[in-house]
Amino acid sequence: MTTVIREGWTTFKSIFTGMGVTIRHFFKPAVTELYPEEKVELPKGARAKLYVNIDDCIGCNLCARACPVNCIDIETVMATSDVDLGKTSTGNPKRFWLTQFDIDMAKCMYCDLCTFPCPTDCIYMVPEYEYSEFDRTNLVYHFSDLTPEKVDEVKEKAEKEAEEKKKERERKMKEKKAKAKDKAKSKPKPKPKPKQPDNKKDDEES
Amino acid sequence: MEVMMNKTTDSNSERREMVINMGPQHPSTHGVLRLELVLDGEVVKEVRPNIGYLHRCFEKYAEELGDYASVTPYTDRMDYVSAMNQELGYVIAIERLLELEIPERVEYIRVIISELQRIASHLLGIGAFGLDLGAFTPFLYLFTEREKILDIFEKTSGARLLYNYMTVGGLMKDVPKDFKKDTAEFVKTFRPKIKELNDLLSYNKIFINRTADIGVLPEKVALNYAASGPVLRGSGMKWDLRKDDPYSIYDRFDFDIPVGSGEVGTLGDCWDRYMVRVREMEQSLRIIEQALDGMPDEGDVTEAVPKRIRLKEGEIYCRTETPRGELGYYIISDKKGGPFRVKARAPSFVHLSMLPAISKGSLIADMVAIVGSIDIVLGEVDR
Repeated sequence: MTTVIREGWTTFKSIFTGMGVTIRHFFKPAVTELYPEEKVELPKGARAKLYVNIDDCIGCNLCARACPVNCIDIETVMATSDVDLGKTSTGNPKRFWLTQFDIDMAKCMYCDLCTFPCPTDCIYMVPEYEYSEFDRTNLVYHFSDLTPEKVDEVKEKAEKEAEEKKKERERKMKEKKAKAKDKAKSKPKPKPKPKQPDNKKDDEES
Repeated sequence: MEVMMNKTTDSNSERREMVINMGPQHPSTHGVLRLELVLDGEVVKEVRPNIGYLHRCFEKYAEELGDYASVTPYTDRMDYVSAMNQELGYVIAIERLLELEIPERVEYIRVIISELQRIASHLLGIGAFGLDLGAFTPFLYLFTEREKILDIFEKTSGARLLYNYMTVGGLMKDVPKDFKKDTAEFVKTFRPKIKELNDLLSYNKIFINRTADIGVLPEKVALNYAASGPVLRGSGMKWDLRKDDPYSIYDRFDFDIPVGSGEVGTLGDCWDRYMVRVREMEQSLRIIEQALDGMPDEGDVTEAVPKRIRLKEGEIYCRTETPRGELGYYIISDKKGGPFRVKARAPSFVHLSMLPAISKGSLIADMVAIVGSIDIVLGEVDR
């Protein structure tokens, strides 16, 4: 009988101590925010969305290589000799047209590993979190500022120049070979000597 | 719950065994765990845990990535409730292989952060445990506290759950200016909350009746199954890697190892395991206070970070104490860029394998309590 009373008393007491805690909380201000109306400001440096400052990008591809999930797609075209792309704000010379710089935020796992290797600090996370989409393909962000026509033009030019350079190189090689032959004809005695350094030079240039 | 099949064990008798699926979408299985329960009435005769619903090939990924640094975000995703502790284990393993010297300030920040993470993880574990047993209110109050820790982490690393904050040789970036102030403030406000939790939940008669003498795990069984962490300490064994095999700078701090006492029931029951977690939070607060006092104000946290990690051939087993128990990384390195093999010894997996041994003969309602009290995270079980 006494145990029943004691048990009953402890139960009663423990329930009412608990109730006391709840009542004290009842009179405290609410800790929640009513989201769409009230928005929490994310702290500086919050990792919510990747952003690329395309003017500063030099197309080095380091971020794409650091990404563990391969969500960054970069395609570059060598700038032709008649164009000067200028320099980035950090002073690095730009040598490539960025024909494609896509980041698939649906794949991104927000690890921030891509931001560290960047030599110009042009890829970074921004505290912007409201970018949900109905279609997954809309989460692929295109950062390249070139129009498709421009991309075609740039590619064509680059191809032309590359071809010209190739032809030039071949012509030079031929000339050199011819020269070497002439030399060999005029000086027939030291035959193997001049050939070797010539070969080396060719290798270096090619 | 879905009834799988009915079968008569003995055609003459009235007794029937029933196999029931608990999970993988059951709210109290803490993720996607499927338990096959063989029932005799309401008494559980056998439990068969089925895992693999969250398998993400962590070990294979680690081999294929070809880089030591890229593995860190994947360790976060093993036990997403205590991501910082998971990172710390991996990072320490690589640092030991590299024989790197870590700056003092980094070590202190790491300790503070991993102890905060331990508190956050225990808050979730305790809250969810109470929630499983019908105590909804403490869950909300504890989450309010957990939110404060996550806010500190968000200011520090930029992320709220999967941080990728610790890197080999240091930290990703320096802590914000008011980190010390924020943490001290949290420690101050959190102490009374533990007392409040004890009033509200720990010594509540209904809660005690639901957890005392349930799922008793004797010390010997726990050792045979290689249990660790609060599960092992709940059975009365004083074993904590922070004291017994100190890593980082844990040997500098003064703290106790709380163990189960069998206060309200048998030693090693659900209540003991729960109470060990509550008391551990107090000890974590003590460590944080000491670390805040000792933390140097100046220093570059990225000074020891190697540009490129190049390892010789070698292997290491490195274990750390996470909120769930002993997390070990076994890493074999070769001369290539990334690890040759990474094996993670996950405490949750070990504890889940113990479930059949401790839940035989209990009721279905007690199964919920037992699963909650071993505090498993399915992301870590399946990896």
